[in-house]
Amino acid sequence: MQAAAPPNPEAPHRFQKRGFSSEKAIKFFFASNAGLTIVILVLIIVFLLKEGLGFFPGYQRELSVYRIAGLEFVDISRKNLTAHEQLTSVLNRAYFAEINGKSAKELQRYQEASALFNAYTDQIGPTRDLVLNNTQEGSTADSEILTSLRANFQKQKDKALEALPDTPHLSAKERQDLIESIRLRAVDSTEDPPLVVTLTDEYSAAQQKHSEPLRAMRATIDTFESAGYDLSSLVSEMTEAVTVTKEKIQSADILQKDRKTLLAAAENAEDPVERERLKADALASLADKPDIEGPMKLLMERKSACVEVNTKLKESTSGIVKELPTSLTQPEAIRLLDVGRRAWPVFLADLEKTPAAINSWNHQIPVPLSAAISSFLTGKNWVTGGEWQDFYGILPLAVGSLMIAIVALIIAIPTGIGAAIYVNQFASSREQELIKPVIEFIQAIPSVVLGFIGILVFGTILRDVSQWDSLQWIPGFPIEERLNIFTAGCLLALMSIPTIFSLAEDALNNVPSAYAEASEALGASRVQTTFRVIIPAAFSGILAAILLGFGRVIGETMVVLLVAGNRIKIPDFTAGLGAFFQPTHTLTGIIAQELGEVPLGSVHYRALFVVGILLFVVVLAINATAHRFVSKMKH
Amino acid sequence: MFDPETLIRKGLPKGHFKDRIVRTLLSGVTYSIVLIAALLFGKIVVDGAPVLFKAEAPFVDLEFLTAKNETLHVFDDEKGNRYQLPASQYSAYVVKNGAEAIFNEQTYSYSGGGIIGPIAGTALLTIGSMMLALFFGVSAAIYLSEYAKQSPFIHAVRLAILNLAGIPSIVFGLFGFSVFVLIVPVITQDPSDRSILTIPLMISDYVISFQGWSSSLMAGCATLACMILPVIITASEESLRAVPQGFRDASLAMGATRWQTIRKCVLPFSLPGILTSSLLAITRVAGETAPIMFTAAVAAKDDLPWEGVDGPLDVLSSQVQALPYHIYTLAARIPNSEYTQRAQYGSVFVFLVLVAILSLGSVILRSKLRSKLKW
Repeated sequence: MQAAAPPNPEAPHRFQKRGFSSEKAIKFFFASNAGLTIVILVLIIVFLLKEGLGFFPGYQRELSVYRIAGLEFVDISRKNLTAHEQLTSVLNRAYFAEINGKSAKELQRYQEASALFNAYTDQIGPTRDLVLNNTQEGSTADSEILTSLRANFQKQKDKALEALPDTPHLSAKERQDLIESIRLRAVDSTEDPPLVVTLTDEYSAAQQKHSEPLRAMRATIDTFESAGYDLSSLVSEMTEAVTVTKEKIQSADILQKDRKTLLAAAENAEDPVERERLKADALASLADKPDIEGPMKLLMERKSACVEVNTKLKESTSGIVKELPTSLTQPEAIRLLDVGRRAWPVFLADLEKTPAAINSWNHQIPVPLSAAISSFLTGKNWVTGGEWQDFYGILPLAVGSLMIAIVALIIAIPTGIGAAIYVNQFASSREQELIKPVIEFIQAIPSVVLGFIGILVFGTILRDVSQWDSLQWIPGFPIEERLNIFTAGCLLALMSIPTIFSLAEDALNNVPSAYAEASEALGASRVQTTFRVIIPAAFSGILAAILLGFGRVIGETMVVLLVAGNRIKIPDFTAGLGAFFQPTHTLTGIIAQELGEVPLGSVHYRALFVVGILLFVVVLAINATAHRFVSKMKH
Repeated sequence: MFDPETLIRKGLPKGHFKDRIVRTLLSGVTYSIVLIAALLFGKIVVDGAPVLFKAEAPFVDLEFLTAKNETLHVFDDEKGNRYQLPASQYSAYVVKNGAEAIFNEQTYSYSGGGIIGPIAGTALLTIGSMMLALFFGVSAAIYLSEYAKQSPFIHAVRLAILNLAGIPSIVFGLFGFSVFVLIVPVITQDPSDRSILTIPLMISDYVISFQGWSSSLMAGCATLACMILPVIITASEESLRAVPQGFRDASLAMGATRWQTIRKCVLPFSLPGILTSSLLAITRVAGETAPIMFTAAVAAKDDLPWEGVDGPLDVLSSQVQALPYHIYTLAARIPNSEYTQRAQYGSVFVFLVLVAILSLGSVILRSKLRSKLKW
């Protein structure tokens, strides 16, 4: 006998109405919730694009105005001027580094003595002011209050004298004398203690003495500096002229927009009288079209002057590099002078090209959309809210993000993976029970707390450590800013260690135990098994862990916003590895910092959304690659 | 007597030495992580705990947790005694003693009083977003684990979950800002100029206006819920799949419908697991700053979220203070001095203790769950 087909449990009872059933409705409800994830993803993409894509035409228009108004023309000369100023500043820094390096002993002694004195005055300041205010002529304070104030002052003074900073470069006697002189000071004395005065004099005498042999260098720098005066005045004259033109064009743009709005309103107006009135308004606002050609003609008349001044600058500065001294003694001064020497040919080459650039410049060449795109992707300036011209070049931000990620990964990869190998292969189960929750706890620490720790604790520690004499061989030490790429990188390393650790540990865990057993059966030691068998087998999983850690680091916002130093500038790579101790800004940080302040719908606002799109794409690409590695490992 | 392993290893003296070096190195790396975590936590506890605890009985000083956030005034009186008073007490002092009695006054924003405002705001944001995320997330997970068969739709859903999980939180901030703050529809009587579309309803003057919820508790909750949704879905699906297939088969064999099976035989057994893993999600929601910076958070607010409002809708549509944003403000926006440290370390300490309790709770619950539910 043939078995009857088993009844399908999901089929509706035959008495039930066809079509709609409550089971189906429930299923549909759950399915629509699952579909919500797709909806959210699509919404994210759509709205990022909606707000972001308008950026490129807007930026193109801004760049056109930049050209039409002649700002671009002025910037050709300004670029040389800026280079000249930077070069002057480098030379000056070298000069002072040499002098200060030679008088380092006097400088340190002077600084320590005045730091000690300042610490004292800071401490007693408020109570001292009170005493002074009440002993002034015309003060009505009675003697009782005055006595208590004086007692208070004395108490503060004793307290302050006990907690003075160290002075390793002053002799014990000098320190004793200094403290004694402070102790004996009158309340209303405004003079510095004698030792501070002596040391100040000693320091300036040393400066004087060491600047003597550098007289030739000083003269050279001064000649170089004065060579730029002509260009400087020409540029500032032209700047004024073109700024006026630019403002005219911008207000005309606004009128144009108004007109469009008025015309659209006229279309929609139902009342014919109203429609006529709006149309008339629109036509009236059309009337003033800005005069571009007039100012432009005046500007073009200066072409020859520009060429001349730039050529003159080149001629007068090309020989100066040979006159710079070759026998500096202080390492910092030598480095700076070397930076100046290397920048010199670039500076001269730029000056060489300038006349051609000035002559071929024409305000009528249109700015294509591709120029806006490439200026965004490869621009070295992110300048916003300035009076001159806004530039949206993401290179400084991308470089900042990347350098922070490099520091973070250099620290996090060995530690995270090392810890994963240890926990998975060597640790006893009791150790595992300790380590795993700790790392889970690190993962749970909110990023803003890590940023807080970076600002208040780690940055300060790092700066203090960088001032140790025994660490001065590290490039970039002592650091200038406590918030910099390295600080941010260290904290992000701490954030990404849990990610890398747990994923790498999963990968190691997923290696079939037969591999390890076979290896051990062949007589391999535990370490040999781990490094020759298990890690190669888990390699793609570990790679995925690293990539996901990288994605986390790139996308992290609060730590970098708080700790990276927020200076929008490509780090100065002439400092070598010291570049990692400079402050920077990041892709994520710029969004968090500026979105709250920009007007809705402005080009700047849209630029931030384009940065967001870029982040979205980069992080998704990293994650997709990582997941490919993971699925490769599973097969 | 003879441990075979030692005997075998004896034959490999060279490797043994190398073995120990590698082992020591790896354990050094691992314990340095543990050490750093301990140092961090220790530093915060040492500097932050004195804000909350004191040496004499009753040892706990709850004022910091229960007072509102205010500006701190630091000044001397005429005898040179230093006072640190929050704005409300300061003005009382001025009224009592006159403005002439104040010397050397300095003010520090956000540094006086307590942090009840940020705590309340974070609690509301967390509750709201977790409610949304759990409702939608668990429903989606039920579909994925109980109903779904291989289909392009399921494939797309899984891809979307994977991608959503990787999106940086600041991009969620941008998304929340452009959608929940600026676009989503509201029902109102006077639509704003920004509205991109208005649809008149036939009831009096009301219109549906697509003008967004502006920066508000609602917008923040919705943004955070979107961010945490993939985490909830993944965790819930795992818990649902952990329920043995036999439970479902048995129930279906008794003639129960699929929904009855889910409701009576699957959900009750997976609920503890779902809730445990959502504890970890809570720590993430409570700790995120970037998504709420533009969608919900405000640095200073005099009233608590439920004070001076007309109804629950008013609470939802007003901005709130939030603990992570408060810490950001304290760390980045005010100069660091000895008078601000109480507020700074105190807030971070409270926050970190909350996070530690939540994550410890999830660890304990998970191990309990593992020993309890064995099938």
